Amino acid sequence: MDTRLGYAQGAGPSRVKLWPAYLCFIIFGVLIPFSKPDFKLTTVIYSLLIAIVVGLLAINLLILAFNRGNAVLRQADGGFAREAVGTGMLFMIPFTVLAIIALAVLRWNAIMPFASAAITTAAATAGAEAMKRGAQGTKNVMIPTLVAMVFRRHG
Amino acid sequence: MNTAAPMEIPRWKTALSMMINPGEVIKTQMTKIPWPYSVMVSGLSFTLFFLQTGLDMLKTGQIGASTVILITMLGLLYGTVGIALLAVMVWALSQAKQRDYTLGWTISTFALGYSATFVYALSGLNFSLAFGWKTAVAFGVTGILWALRPTLYTIKQLSGKRVAFSIAITPLCGAILLIGWAVLGKFAG
Repeated sequence: MDTRLGYAQGAGPSRVKLWPAYLCFIIFGVLIPFSKPDFKLTTVIYSLLIAIVVGLLAINLLILAFNRGNAVLRQADGGFAREAVGTGMLFMIPFTVLAIIALAVLRWNAIMPFASAAITTAAATAGAEAMKRGAQGTKNVMIPTLVAMVFRRHG
Repeated sequence: MNTAAPMEIPRWKTALSMMINPGEVIKTQMTKIPWPYSVMVSGLSFTLFFLQTGLDMLKTGQIGASTVILITMLGLLYGTVGIALLAVMVWALSQAKQRDYTLGWTISTFALGYSATFVYALSGLNFSLAFGWKTAVAFGVTGILWALRPTLYTIKQLSGKRVAFSIAITPLCGAILLIGWAVLGKFAG
């Protein structure tokens, strides 16, 4: 039995999942229309679809960029980029939980700062995780920042 | 033989690095930062944040100048005693004593994480004073959100690199801070 549940060292490549990150994007997609005064069901559906597309693009672009920029590392460990992005994107969870609390408990209508901080933090952490796994060069920090900036503006 | 002494990194640089690369700062530089310095950073951050809250309420006529001063003082208390208490709670929950992390180290690391809040609060105050904007939420709350990354790394370090645990405790800390701010704002107003 695995007694080290939740320990980073115990997490093998197959354990890094991307669905928590997609779920965070979906939750933000649902929350954002609720924070607007003119709430409509069609807005929720549009927002949800946009959130799914943004999530898919952000995650897969990051994986693609890390793979492209670290060809040697990719040959040694084909799953390194997916692992780095999967681990980094887990950092969206605290921001998503806080956004739910802000909207449901505190009745704030400012959800965008939460989404913005979530994407930037998660992308930056993905870059740090890639470097921890052996990726080299400032591009591994610059690319996530750039991706986060693009998706923050379109989120 | 290399006899050159290792270069001392200025404390303000360590505070700024905490925003960009908290993982590295926590692992390598926090032993050189005394806790009063870190608590000063978080204290100033929340003083400026609460000052903006007071100024926003003053602009809408909800409170007078004396209440702005009271809210600002509450911010100082929140950023020093409040953050230290939050750090103690995290230290206890993560059983950091078993990993030889002292309370002083924990408070120092936790408090220095709010350097991002300080930068946002300072920028917000400029916009509040120069352009009359309401900045408490736009800059203050955003500043607290940006401090969540160092908080998460601190909890991860204290808990023996338990990622799931740190992800669960970080929103708790954020929620305590945000709800506390909202309650204090209402109480003072």
